[in-house]
Amino acid sequence: MTSRERVRRALERRGPDRVPLDLGGTANSSISALAYEALKAHLGLAAPARLLTKQGQVADVDDAVRDRFGIDTQPLRIRPPERWHDVPLPDDAYEDEWGVVWQRPPGMNSYFLLRSPFEADATPEAVGRHRWPDPADPGRLRGLAEEARRLAAETSRAIVFDCTASFWGEAEWLRGFAGFYVDLLTNKPFVHALVDKILEIKLAMAAAALDAVRGFVDVIVAGDDLGTQQAPMISPATYREFVRPRHRVLFDLLRARGGGAKILYHCDGAIDPFIPDLIACGIDALNPVQVSAAGMGDTARLKREYGKDLCFWGGVDTARVLPFGTPAEVRDEVRRRIEDLGPGGGYVLGAVHNIQAEVPPENVCALFDSALAGR
Amino acid sequence: METGPVRQEPASWYINVLADAVADGDLRGAMNMAEAALAAGVPAHTIAEQGILQGLDSLGTRFSCGESYLPELMVGAKAAMTVLELLRPHLEGVPAARLGTVVLGTVQGDLHDIGKNLVAMLLRGAGFQVVDLGVNVSGERFVAAMEERRAHLVGLSALLTTTMQTMPAIIRAIRQSPAGRAARIAVGGAPLDAAFAARVGADGFAKDAAEAVALFRSLHDQAESAADLP
Repeated sequence: MTSRERVRRALERRGPDRVPLDLGGTANSSISALAYEALKAHLGLAAPARLLTKQGQVADVDDAVRDRFGIDTQPLRIRPPERWHDVPLPDDAYEDEWGVVWQRPPGMNSYFLLRSPFEADATPEAVGRHRWPDPADPGRLRGLAEEARRLAAETSRAIVFDCTASFWGEAEWLRGFAGFYVDLLTNKPFVHALVDKILEIKLAMAAAALDAVRGFVDVIVAGDDLGTQQAPMISPATYREFVRPRHRVLFDLLRARGGGAKILYHCDGAIDPFIPDLIACGIDALNPVQVSAAGMGDTARLKREYGKDLCFWGGVDTARVLPFGTPAEVRDEVRRRIEDLGPGGGYVLGAVHNIQAEVPPENVCALFDSALAGR
Repeated sequence: METGPVRQEPASWYINVLADAVADGDLRGAMNMAEAALAAGVPAHTIAEQGILQGLDSLGTRFSCGESYLPELMVGAKAAMTVLELLRPHLEGVPAARLGTVVLGTVQGDLHDIGKNLVAMLLRGAGFQVVDLGVNVSGERFVAAMEERRAHLVGLSALLTTTMQTMPAIIRAIRQSPAGRAARIAVGGAPLDAAFAARVGADGFAKDAAEAVALFRSLHDQAESAADLP
């Protein structure tokens, strides 16, 4: 069975020959560039460092590492715009094409939100005046179809396509977190205008990108940021007012244009109350199953309740076991998640979110070696 | 509020209506009721300590048991802060209205501040003075702020498993400083738990912002009653 068939079968909840494995298939299931260098040294592999994302500073995993661990996924991303170049600012900061300013402080691994364009003026009029990204920028599709065709021919791994199909996170960044969450109750016309505009751009980008890669990709990534450690960030009523109708529109487009590719939805945190809605809106798989968050740790229950309709993707604890556990504890964690989530397919194993900088290479090896062995 | 001349109501009525308005994030209702309570002669510190705190308490309970979410918590905290500002001129020289000063910061190497900002908001609403040192804060900066503001309450926040490991050194630096000997230190952040807090020598752990307010109130009481407080 090829990796592509294996991932497909898992997503369709028809038992594959073994649980498929993901490392670096998405920008939220890869490994910190620092941990990756340590891992390569540990494995005796030499390869130049390449990044999957600038903001998060996570590694673009090399084929040699994928082969070593039996990884079944292969990322493909929409290209950057060519009419927009991030504006470098003093003190290792930059402005992105949305007008959001990010900064990497001295000694830090990744960039953090520094300034939001709607911080001071949160009105529908300001949304109308803002300089928005051009979804039709030709750079976004430059070489994309060729790359998709090449990957589909050259690798048997499942191709996971990311066309940045999200809108909630962008809204938080554009407004700033504190203001945004207050606006949800006290400034609704602005939030609707803001999120509608973001979604309009994202739909146009996704439609054009999917037309370029259709037939070559197996999985399409979407994602948001709706959970805290203890509960969803917003009430079910707020979710249904602001997010759910737009999820429906977005997932409908991904499905209609995706050529049979499955929808992998990423959202951290305690989002158990939203899972039925997400399934109803059309997701096929849920990542990362943050087992350290409230209501997400009992993966046997999640499988019982949602396994009929949903594939789980991730699940190996990054909060405690991977950074602080022994290799034996990592193997126990892997065994537990495979036992809970694996039966009948419907599970792609990986770490919960990106493997963090301090995770020792021995634990990364224990994770994938035991998963490959199925125990 | 449609029950006739407000002056005839007992103080507890104002307190309860104000508390409900704060818990519901009804800023205008909370302001109106605070003004009416002042006009009716209810002491400002009673309004603050009973009305606002009671409102924040029930909001915190709703948040902790999953009936309220971040937006409700933030809007309620904002209502509490605004009412407190209104009361501020009437609270001068009333020591009971001062809950003390909390020095807050996200620890060195970590720039995540959403949770920490929420804690600051709620603490201010509850009547604490808050010195928010921001993100990426070293032990030296915590100590300097505690000395400068004569603060005995400290809150350390971390979101990353990498950066939570800087907490023991920061806590040691605080404990070893003259300002920090009597300090009460609380820690919080997604990857932490009570066992970690105990292991690194903190005095308390709060799993969310609502719990943090209750925790700092109890740490404040401990510090007040401790003989070692300067």
